[in-house]
Amino acid sequence: MSKKKAAGTAKVHKKPLGIRIWNNRGFYVMLLPVLVFLIIMHYWPMLGIRYAFYDYKPVGEPVFVGMKHFNKLFSAPPFWTAFWNTLELSIIKLVITTVASVVVSILLNEMGNLLAKKILQTVIYLPHFMSWVVTASIFSLFLSPSATGMVNGMLRDWGILTDDMKNIYFLGDSHWWRPVYYVINIWKETGWGTIVSLATLSGINPELYEAADIDGATRFQKMRYVTLPALANTIITVLILNLAKVMNLFESVFVLYNDAVRDVSDVVATYIYRQTFMVALPNYGYSTAVGLFRSLVGCILVLVCNWLSKKVRGRGIV
Amino acid sequence: MKKKLLSILLATAMVATMAGCGDKTPADSSSASSSVADTQATAPAEPYNLETLTMVVNGTLTASVENRQDAFEEQWEAAVSEKIGHKIDLVIQQQDHSGYVDAVGRIFAGGDLPDVILMSADMYAQYAPTGILWDMTEAYENAEFQSRIELKSVNEAMKIDGKLYGFAPATGNGCVTWVKKSWMDAVGVKAEDITNWDAYYDMLTKFTTEDPDGNGKNDTYGVAAAGFVGFEAPYINYLPEFWQDAYPAFVQDDNGVWYDGFNTDATKQALLRLQKAYNDGVIDPESLTMGTKDVRTKYWSADQAGSFGAFTYWAGKWEQTVYDNFETNGVNTELVTLAPLAEVGAYLNREAPVWCIIDDGDGDNSREQAVFDAFIETMLDGDTVQMLWTYGAEGVHWSTAAETVTLKGKDGKEDTVKEYTEGQFHLLPSPNDPTTAWKSNAIDPSLVIAPLTNGISSVTDIAAKGNIFFSEHSVQAPKSASSETLTNEGGTLNDLKTEVITEVVTKNGDVDQWMSYYDEQSKSLVETILAELNQ
Repeated sequence: MSKKKAAGTAKVHKKPLGIRIWNNRGFYVMLLPVLVFLIIMHYWPMLGIRYAFYDYKPVGEPVFVGMKHFNKLFSAPPFWTAFWNTLELSIIKLVITTVASVVVSILLNEMGNLLAKKILQTVIYLPHFMSWVVTASIFSLFLSPSATGMVNGMLRDWGILTDDMKNIYFLGDSHWWRPVYYVINIWKETGWGTIVSLATLSGINPELYEAADIDGATRFQKMRYVTLPALANTIITVLILNLAKVMNLFESVFVLYNDAVRDVSDVVATYIYRQTFMVALPNYGYSTAVGLFRSLVGCILVLVCNWLSKKVRGRGIV
Repeated sequence: MKKKLLSILLATAMVATMAGCGDKTPADSSSASSSVADTQATAPAEPYNLETLTMVVNGTLTASVENRQDAFEEQWEAAVSEKIGHKIDLVIQQQDHSGYVDAVGRIFAGGDLPDVILMSADMYAQYAPTGILWDMTEAYENAEFQSRIELKSVNEAMKIDGKLYGFAPATGNGCVTWVKKSWMDAVGVKAEDITNWDAYYDMLTKFTTEDPDGNGKNDTYGVAAAGFVGFEAPYINYLPEFWQDAYPAFVQDDNGVWYDGFNTDATKQALLRLQKAYNDGVIDPESLTMGTKDVRTKYWSADQAGSFGAFTYWAGKWEQTVYDNFETNGVNTELVTLAPLAEVGAYLNREAPVWCIIDDGDGDNSREQAVFDAFIETMLDGDTVQMLWTYGAEGVHWSTAAETVTLKGKDGKEDTVKEYTEGQFHLLPSPNDPTTAWKSNAIDPSLVIAPLTNGISSVTDIAAKGNIFFSEHSVQAPKSASSETLTNEGGTLNDLKTEVITEVVTKNGDVDQWMSYYDEQSKSLVETILAELNQ
């Protein structure tokens, strides 16, 4: 009876927590540095969130002001301009660079000459390693409206800009700034973006192409019906993963924007920068409130992406 | 289970850290002070023995780390230790020049307060009312250098409600407008004719359309500046001919009543002038994005294509620098300094940057007085320490020894060799650039309020003439405003002004419409600020 009962209720009796920790002490020791790093670098700074509810200036005690900064924030038109600009610039940039990466990957994949392919790959990866400051300086020189601006010079040489027309100030004109910004992003990030796509392409079963050949598919049809479907999952994954980071836009805009194009280029991070660093006695409370709001939106986007990821890939991103 | 354990650990750590921080108020700028205060309170009667002096400064201390700051520091410590009768260490915290406002904010927020700090007039106006700056009025009045001060008005102008919270060792200086004489000759313009706006604008137009550099192309501009309006007071000093009588900030009228200088007809007219110049291509469109260094470089660049004719910049020393760079780059021209146009009246002498002493708030002035004695009192001693602030370290930046000094030739040019006799003052090659001679340290010798008593001067004729010209044609810039709401909402107002200026100037916006927009958007803020300023 007792044997029968034991078999029927085969219950696993866990050892006490202390013993289990001791038994796995090696793992916990390995975990410790990560945990300490996490607390110091990620959780400790989060304590600063409370300043969003304070008037917190470099001098004097912080004064609790409740929702004052949020009220100011939500009623400030420049903030909303910056907020919508952030979303628009980030999402359009993301879509454009992803599409460009896929197109370039497919073209690279079609290249027969292995040496040329490797050289080309290296060349298009390089801009990714250039800092945004250097990138902005280079493009500012190229796009300068002065006599030394290369692009304006070329447009004039080709007769596109006639004598009665002024040089185009690409980075100082609201109509031109965004297209230029996207082009610079394509130039800088497309190469790096091809890495994931090329890895996926190299994993496509060659039998699929052979079958397509037997069916008489042309090269374009093979790309359309074999390569692209194989890439689809990767493209969606990359898009989803990057969607969570759209609120983080700063450096690329900061080095390229100016007062004349603020209506189309100001993003939340640059707005925070101006409110904090360009006044004689900043109120960090307001900057923190803006930052907190940005983080909340970012957090919501991460959750949305997680949900989307589960739908598309069957598993979340976290 | 592991996830649960991890969650518990993280939650515990967070609670612990929050609790740990909870009992200490953030940015407790007075915490360091109070600890100092506690120590002070025990022995207030004893003279304060200042062993270490920490100073925060921007790029105006040209004896930077790469320019042998160690030598400056060492010689300062030796000289000041001898003067105050005990050893003192100088700790220099030199911050990035362009990010100085931000750096100072962080220093204060961090609570690790220095003893002395350099502040621009804007910063001074904002920080003085907070109580963090020591009232040095009495110490200043009793200073040894008082009898030698030639320009008393400089520090008198810095007083707020009769109290002095910062000391200016030199005048603020200001900008004058120079024009390339070769360009004037090329387009047939005479300097003496440029007396009013119409003549000035006509000259700028000719610089834009009549190929003054003679390269066969109309690729030059009349004028360029680092922005259409500046970030620091006096905001209009890089384009005074365009702004004329407008002053786009809070300013006092003749009766001392504050008003919003941006929301005036004068500003509207200034924006229209800028708009016209931008549309006509007379003003370099890159003025929008250029910093002062970009503008300078463009002005004296070897290739004058894309350059400009009229340049408004700091009088005196910088005029010499422009000449030096013309020579280095082979730009063959003289500079003509324009007298202020009839519509401008006078150039603006900005409020001087000041050295402020941090008040530890303990009610005992002995530490602050000791800082004053060691730092400010010695700064204008007329001799050794003033030499350090003016020219840097002896034997490193300057010398009076009999020697041969060689300036390396630039771009393949021959070295310049000069012989000096014993006792002859001369500047040595810059430590970080042996092709150029050292010029000066933090105090411009031509602007100092109490000159050296040892007879040494390196002010060139060009710089001296420039300074005299400026002093004869300038008035004191309006005083910077300070109020709580202005401090809190300064960023918002700056954004709004910038929006209006760029919309009108670069996008041909209707000036009336945009000024109405400014009025509408800023009305309640401006009213609050004016009420605070005029109370």
